[in-house]
Amino acid sequence: MHLTTMVLSSSLLTIFSILILPVLGTLNPSPPGSLWATNSVKTAVKVAFFVSLLPLFIFLNEGVEAIMTNWEWMNTLMFNINISFKFDLYSIVFTPVALYVTWSILEFASWYMHDDPNMNRFFKYLLIFLIAMIVLVTANNMFQLFIGWEGVGIMSFLLIGWWFGRADANTAALQAVVYNRVGDIGLILAMAWMAVNLNSWDMQQLFSMTTNQDMTLPLLGLVLAATGKSAQFGLHPWLPSAMEGPTPVSALLHSSTMVVAGIFLLIRLNPLMDNNPLVLSTCLCLGALTTVFTATCALTQNDIKKIIAFSTSSQLGLMMVTIGLNQPQLAFLHICTHAFFKAMLFLCSGSIIHSLNDEQDIRKMGGLHHLLPFTSSCLTIGSLALTGTPFLAGFFSKDAIIEALNTSYLNAWALVLTLVATSFTAVYSLRVVFFVSMGHPRFNPISPINENNLTVMNPIKRLAWGSILAGLLITANISPLKTPLMTMPFVLKMAALTVTIVGLLMALELASLASQQFKIKPASAPHHFSNMLGFYPSVVHRLAPKTNLVLGQLIANQTIDQTWLEKTGPKMTASVNLPLISSTSNLQQGVIKTYFLMFFFTMILAVLILVI
Amino acid sequence: MLMILTPTMMLLPMIWLSSSAHLWASVLAHSMTIALVSLSWLCLPMEAGWSSLNSFIATDPLSTPLLVLTCWLLPLMILASQNHMAKEPINRQRVYISLLTSLQIFLILAFGATEMIMFYVMFEATLIPTLIIITRWGNQTERLNAGIYFLFYTLAGSLPLLVALLVLQNSTGSLSFLTTQFSPPLQLHTEASKIWWAGCLLAFLVKMPLYGAHLWLPKAHVEAPIAGSMILAAVLLKLGGYGMMRIIIILDPLTKQLSYPFIILALWGVVMTGSICLRQTDLKSLIAYSSVSHMGLVAAGILIQTPWGFTGALILMIAHGLTSSALFCLANTNYERTHSRTMLLARGLQMVLPLLATWWFLFTLANLALPPLPNLMGELMIISSLFNWSNWTLLLTGAGTLITASYSLHMFLTTQRGPITSPVLAIEPTHTREHLLMILHLLPLLLLILKPALIWGWAL
Repeated sequence: MHLTTMVLSSSLLTIFSILILPVLGTLNPSPPGSLWATNSVKTAVKVAFFVSLLPLFIFLNEGVEAIMTNWEWMNTLMFNINISFKFDLYSIVFTPVALYVTWSILEFASWYMHDDPNMNRFFKYLLIFLIAMIVLVTANNMFQLFIGWEGVGIMSFLLIGWWFGRADANTAALQAVVYNRVGDIGLILAMAWMAVNLNSWDMQQLFSMTTNQDMTLPLLGLVLAATGKSAQFGLHPWLPSAMEGPTPVSALLHSSTMVVAGIFLLIRLNPLMDNNPLVLSTCLCLGALTTVFTATCALTQNDIKKIIAFSTSSQLGLMMVTIGLNQPQLAFLHICTHAFFKAMLFLCSGSIIHSLNDEQDIRKMGGLHHLLPFTSSCLTIGSLALTGTPFLAGFFSKDAIIEALNTSYLNAWALVLTLVATSFTAVYSLRVVFFVSMGHPRFNPISPINENNLTVMNPIKRLAWGSILAGLLITANISPLKTPLMTMPFVLKMAALTVTIVGLLMALELASLASQQFKIKPASAPHHFSNMLGFYPSVVHRLAPKTNLVLGQLIANQTIDQTWLEKTGPKMTASVNLPLISSTSNLQQGVIKTYFLMFFFTMILAVLILVI
Repeated sequence: MLMILTPTMMLLPMIWLSSSAHLWASVLAHSMTIALVSLSWLCLPMEAGWSSLNSFIATDPLSTPLLVLTCWLLPLMILASQNHMAKEPINRQRVYISLLTSLQIFLILAFGATEMIMFYVMFEATLIPTLIIITRWGNQTERLNAGIYFLFYTLAGSLPLLVALLVLQNSTGSLSFLTTQFSPPLQLHTEASKIWWAGCLLAFLVKMPLYGAHLWLPKAHVEAPIAGSMILAAVLLKLGGYGMMRIIIILDPLTKQLSYPFIILALWGVVMTGSICLRQTDLKSLIAYSSVSHMGLVAAGILIQTPWGFTGALILMIAHGLTSSALFCLANTNYERTHSRTMLLARGLQMVLPLLATWWFLFTLANLALPPLPNLMGELMIISSLFNWSNWTLLLTGAGTLITASYSLHMFLTTQRGPITSPVLAIEPTHTREHLLMILHLLPLLLLILKPALIWGWAL
């Protein structure tokens, strides 16, 4: 075997073993010590990150990609499922990013969760969550991918419902799984279709055999799967609800795991949809709708975590738009840069929430720039990176996406929606910064404000460096797979920046107007629409479950099972036979007259039959 | 075969002759040894078809997994019933264990039978010990009603089978499983042959149970003591699936058309019983309805008659056997502490019994088919083969998976999560026995992930 390939694949397998080791260690019946979380789990992720740099550098230097097949797992009638890993651009670049972000989040969590009695278990869940994500990313066949896919889903259930005494947390956890299950139907559809028509779930075989096939149905299944996992419009409400989990969970869920899995699936299987315009435009429109809808919802939220959650949803919409533009690499780039600043925004908000004694409402913050200078600076950096300020991380991916959108011949409607969403990004980002760090304090006087703790500052600092540099580093080092369009009219080139600046100025103007009352009764319908999340949850979360539950109770259980099946089956048999039985037995009461009478009638009958 | 059967029969003298102090321990050790020895069946060369042949009984790749499951379940049943039987007089304990053992003997003979009539006799014979277990050791008075439902539904289905088998004997001259696939195709053109077809399958469809003939199952499950529920869910329902797979080979040309309504009914049942589960307040009834829903999928997989359908059905039967049996055990551990099956009365149990909550979680995951558990492999294969038959079935199977996930997690959240309810504050801690019981359910399930080929049946 070639040396570089061997180093590449063996170091990637080393990452797996390093990460799995702490999980296996917990099977030991004696409980781990209180330092297990940081010493074992955090160190494992940290070491794994440094190990993962090796294949990254080999890849950047030599462009090596590898597929490794270890073990024939099962084989039914020529249908093979192997344990097989794919180390290509996507998995080699994504793994270090995910490990780096998770390392920071784990370190932060050791501060954030330090008074939780089950901190070790929390860390174990986070670690399994990460492992499932890496399984998903490196999978080379659909079955293995499905393992990772469901793995992140179920781990998110555990993590969102971490504070299981609260009804809200449990509901949010259930919501996440149910919405994801709707998406899973799509994935199962695609897998069944592939098994039936292609007789394989291996990626390279899928890519080579589908050139002449009509793939619309399975691809729509995949889009549905991505809709569920990546919270696209229609299946999005679970994402903001998932804020019920602890902040480190939100950070991990929204940055490098779980929610990007759906987009990653489409990136991974992009060769299948390359020349299917129907599916591509579905993605484009779905993404555009998601990005503008969730950005609208973010505008009027008051919970700091909710705002950041909706911004994630909006960015996921943008990634979906990019998939629709048939630019998977740009979408991937956005996943990577987004991971850094989104994780940092969550960690900053976690730090603020703890400092203000578990206060999440941005109306009750303010003036934190003087009290939490480091955290609020990083919050600002993160917001700037999110809006796509030139030369921060978000710029390199977001600007490229919008340029690609501007110069494409596709749907102008989607283009307009995306631009509107981009300017909304500036609006809600400014709103967060304005309410949290500017102005005067509006919180209770005695708040335990303290950010001078290395386990808070170091992770945020590391992520801040990532938010500043990641975009530059990644774009400078990987070569684009599709030729980017370099020349375009000035207006189009500047469109992203223009709409962002317009959004920013409008938001500033609005913020200054907020304290003045021009009308006695302000027109509040648009506000309600945005604040109530477009009335989507209130309609869908009542209608669909209620219909289903009523169906279950009234029709399935009471009407069919308890009435029709039971009444026409056993009960009818009993009631039809009962009169016969009772009259027969009532006859026989030991009265000799009855017996003779019966005997007589029988004789007459017999004689009659004989005669006739 | 006799290597397993004879020791199983020797359990009976052991039960009656061993001293009361060592009764449970010695029976458990003995049956566990049998179970471990029975694992050697899995090593038999599967490609060769039949093996361990003698004149009446044999195993083949289809029956081996079910036989091993049967043997594996007896020690688990003994472990599970130890606590609630402890207060009974010693002779009744002996009778109880003898019934369980006799059930295992009948089941081994049923799964190992090479003749349809012998299979039929053993199939019917399993009713008797089960009926006694349900009606004698059940807890509420409704157990009598449940026993009647159980007996009459099954009998009404299986008596036509006897007639159908006699007809078959008349026309082919042999009822041996060994030669069925070599016998010349039957001439089935008359209307009566359609009735004969239905007669052949009805017994198994009722036993599965197919949606529409499933009313006996929730009642029997709810009223039966724990061992009854376990064996019913884990093995007795599988008799139906096994019999169907055996007999459907000779019904070939007719099944193509006639099975359509049954497939639709089975899939419709998956959705309907799933929705019923969403509204159940009774823990055992919920698990029972979820069994109906899963077995509907199995029935559809068998009726579709493709290699993947058969394989998926067999995998799902084994996986569901272990999962639902474990769920009943968990429900029983709750019941022994709170003396109520109502879910709402015992909530937030994770606070008091944290390790038990882990088991609940793992088996909930198995119930909702998390990859890579064998449950998922089976479901995926069945769904794929149904999808191959008609794309529209995905609407029903997809809705089925969604509903399954919902009610499984609903069950988990209601019983384990949330604030604790006051009636359960002072309950007994868990026993090592209960954890061992759970591990013995979980271990085969996890090990099967590594080599699912063991339970693949014919599709090797």
